[in-house]
Amino acid sequence: MNLLTYVIRRLCLMILVLFGVLVITFFVSHVIPADPVTAALGSQAPAYLIEKVRHEWGLDLPLQEQFFNYLWNALHGDLGISIRTSRPVAEDLLQYFPATIELSTAAIILAVALSIPLGIISAVRRNKLADHITRIFSIFGISMPVFWLGLLLLAALYFKLRLMPSPGQLSFQIVPPPRVTGFLSIDSLLAGDLNAFFNYLSHLILPAFVLGFASLASITRITRSSMLEVLRQDYIRTARAKGLSSRVVINRHALKNALIPTTTVIGLRYGSLLEGAVLTETIFAWPGVGQYAVGAILFLDFPAIMGSVLAIAVVYSIANLIVDLVYGFLDPRMRVGD
Amino acid sequence: MSKRKAITKLQSVLIAVVLIAIIIGAYFYYASQSAQVQKPVTLVIAMDTSSIVSLDPAKAYEFEGIVINNNVYNRLVGFKGIDYSTVYPELADSWNVASDGVTWTFNLKHGLSFPSGTPINAAAVIYSFQRVVQLQQPPSWVITQFGIKSDTMKALDDYTVQFKLNAPYAKGLFLSCLAFPVASIVDPTVVKAHETNGDMGAAWLLDHSAGSGAFTLAKWQRGTEIVLNANKNYWKGKPGVDIIDIKEIKETLDQRMLLERGDIDIAWNLLPDQLAALKDNKDISIVSSPAFQVFYLGMNAGSKPFNDPRVRNAVRWAIDYNGIINNILKGAAIGLQTIIPKGIAGYNPQTPFTQDIAKAKSLLADAGYPNGFSVQLTTPASLSGAPTADIAAKIKSDLAKVGIDVQIQLITYAELLTKYRAQSLQMVIGRWGSDYADPNSNAAAFALCRTTSSSDTAKQLAWRNVYANNATSDLVVQASRELDDTKRLDDYKQITGIILNDGPFAMLYQLVIQRAVRNSVKGFIVSPLTLEDFSTITKQT
Repeated sequence: MNLLTYVIRRLCLMILVLFGVLVITFFVSHVIPADPVTAALGSQAPAYLIEKVRHEWGLDLPLQEQFFNYLWNALHGDLGISIRTSRPVAEDLLQYFPATIELSTAAIILAVALSIPLGIISAVRRNKLADHITRIFSIFGISMPVFWLGLLLLAALYFKLRLMPSPGQLSFQIVPPPRVTGFLSIDSLLAGDLNAFFNYLSHLILPAFVLGFASLASITRITRSSMLEVLRQDYIRTARAKGLSSRVVINRHALKNALIPTTTVIGLRYGSLLEGAVLTETIFAWPGVGQYAVGAILFLDFPAIMGSVLAIAVVYSIANLIVDLVYGFLDPRMRVGD
Repeated sequence: MSKRKAITKLQSVLIAVVLIAIIIGAYFYYASQSAQVQKPVTLVIAMDTSSIVSLDPAKAYEFEGIVINNNVYNRLVGFKGIDYSTVYPELADSWNVASDGVTWTFNLKHGLSFPSGTPINAAAVIYSFQRVVQLQQPPSWVITQFGIKSDTMKALDDYTVQFKLNAPYAKGLFLSCLAFPVASIVDPTVVKAHETNGDMGAAWLLDHSAGSGAFTLAKWQRGTEIVLNANKNYWKGKPGVDIIDIKEIKETLDQRMLLERGDIDIAWNLLPDQLAALKDNKDISIVSSPAFQVFYLGMNAGSKPFNDPRVRNAVRWAIDYNGIINNILKGAAIGLQTIIPKGIAGYNPQTPFTQDIAKAKSLLADAGYPNGFSVQLTTPASLSGAPTADIAAKIKSDLAKVGIDVQIQLITYAELLTKYRAQSLQMVIGRWGSDYADPNSNAAAFALCRTTSSSDTAKQLAWRNVYANNATSDLVVQASRELDDTKRLDDYKQITGIILNDGPFAMLYQLVIQRAVRNSVKGFIVSPLTLEDFSTITKQT
């Protein structure tokens, strides 16, 4: 099987997975004993208006009919109209998704850039001070709730010490660049607005760190343990016996092998960052899909709930596919087609 | 030795990361540069605007959407400052009602126009009302309840509009409804230019504006901000600030930090604890006003035990109202035991109930419940920032003292409304916000229900608590059509008195809205109906 067939097969499987996600999300969200129409119209609305709106939103149809209508439209690229924003869900997602992608990508980059060196140091200097500090750090990362860490860092670094900028994507005096891609980093560069670009990056650091902290901790731990495992292998002893420098032994022989489980974790973490973004986005006033999805859930905005879950599932599946392809690069034995 | 080298190499990766962070620090340079540029006066408000569905005046129905539309559009009539007892002219100069009680004539101010240059005339008024009637969006009933339709409106000349209502209505009732933002006058030329598929501009007006108000909607970036630009040619005079930038900040702690740091001027949604913590801050003031929002405990009178008025009274005597107001709400409420809030005509200041355990117990014994009973109390965890879960816990402990065992059921507000509308809640903590500043809004909700069966048309609060009362229902209808204001007030006195002692409600309190404002901001007044006027605000820079 060559690489192309493999990718195509995986993409076909992905469609099945997405279908499953849609079925589950649709029926779970619709069995909640609450009515989005009364939620939207408030307690004052007269009965005739409630019936009219229920009909307009297609909620007076039997559940299975609603589902097949949704599926049919989704297959034609129509994710429906959001009840809450009165706009096409696809349009809403295009607006909110870039902010989340930027935030979670920054978070994973920050987490990987810090965690792999930390994991290696921790393994190489096992049971020494650096190892102890790293391990305490990762326990903190795993056990600290995101909303608590976020508010704590904001209170300390923004409010008290004034080292970090306010919540939000840009400082309030900065005029946002014209929207082209929706990615503020790219849009500000396209507009040639370095002021906005750097301002945006400065606003990105804190939420990215908070969001990535749990991932940082778990990637550090997995890197450390798999590094320790690899360092015990015979081929490492052989390499050392050959008189190779420690640097070559660790970087060329040990690290590449130790990174396989780490890569799995990174892939999974990236997916979960999209979900974890919900709280981080609220605390840092980040206009991402997490906030959009929560708003949709509270409002029982079914099309928006379905659209958000679908979009997150797509990204999650693609991240997993990329991880599988990276395996082949790291370990020739796992290469597709061999 | 070589091992040390390898680690040094890895540490250099760390240093590289730190270096990147330092480059980012360059923003301080850019930020300080931009701060020196001369800027228009901008008022920055942090607000949770996530609930806004639309800024089309025919559709907007959420508090935050209404406050924005109040500043972007004008109506025929309006209120002045905090006086909600009198309706003042706005786009209309004067009005009169014919002796038949149903023919209303409004004379418009001459010479006014929208920013586009379109004159504000009878055609604009009729088009605006036609939009509301045809689009049939959630707030439309405020207008259509009077039977207003295309063929009941007429332009007598360019500046005179006549409405024929479906019945005679009390003046205050009709005029208060015309002061609600759904009755905003839109620029017909601009709206028609943006019509798609005969939608009367609904898709476009969702996030654009076509009003004659003090501000125009410059931008609504969902999830981020709503920007209003001052209408420099505003007919009442240029507003005090050039730009109003409403930042969407959901987290109330963020709002507090931003306010204290001076990054924003007004924090819209602070919680009672956070407001209390700001009392000592010399740079910040708390501006407040009782809101036309009342909170109540509803009791299902359709079945035992609440079908017995003595039991409902026992509950009213068992609750420690001051404890709720002072300890839980910390001043974000004032006492209220009748159904019409303070500030609206017909308000009845009686507060006979205080916690009297002995009296409550004896009422329960009379009703045949000497050992109390068990009951389920349903509430959302919080409602409009009010910690209703804590209030429920307080009521549980109060009622336990008279032998009533309360089980608290916490559910989402959406789920609560669904069950409430199905008459299936035994006890509920609810809120009623008046839609317009007239007693009819509350009287109809709390006291108008002739049958508890599904044939009732309004299905409002009395119906949802399975309480029918022909005497109060007759009075509510009579008062809504009473043209004599004195007689009308007398009707409301009777209605509030009956419900106070017999109704299925224990009124808990009237909400007080509090906004935290930096002292550099002057002229900000909190409105009980969230109809804040931003045009009077000035800001020292």
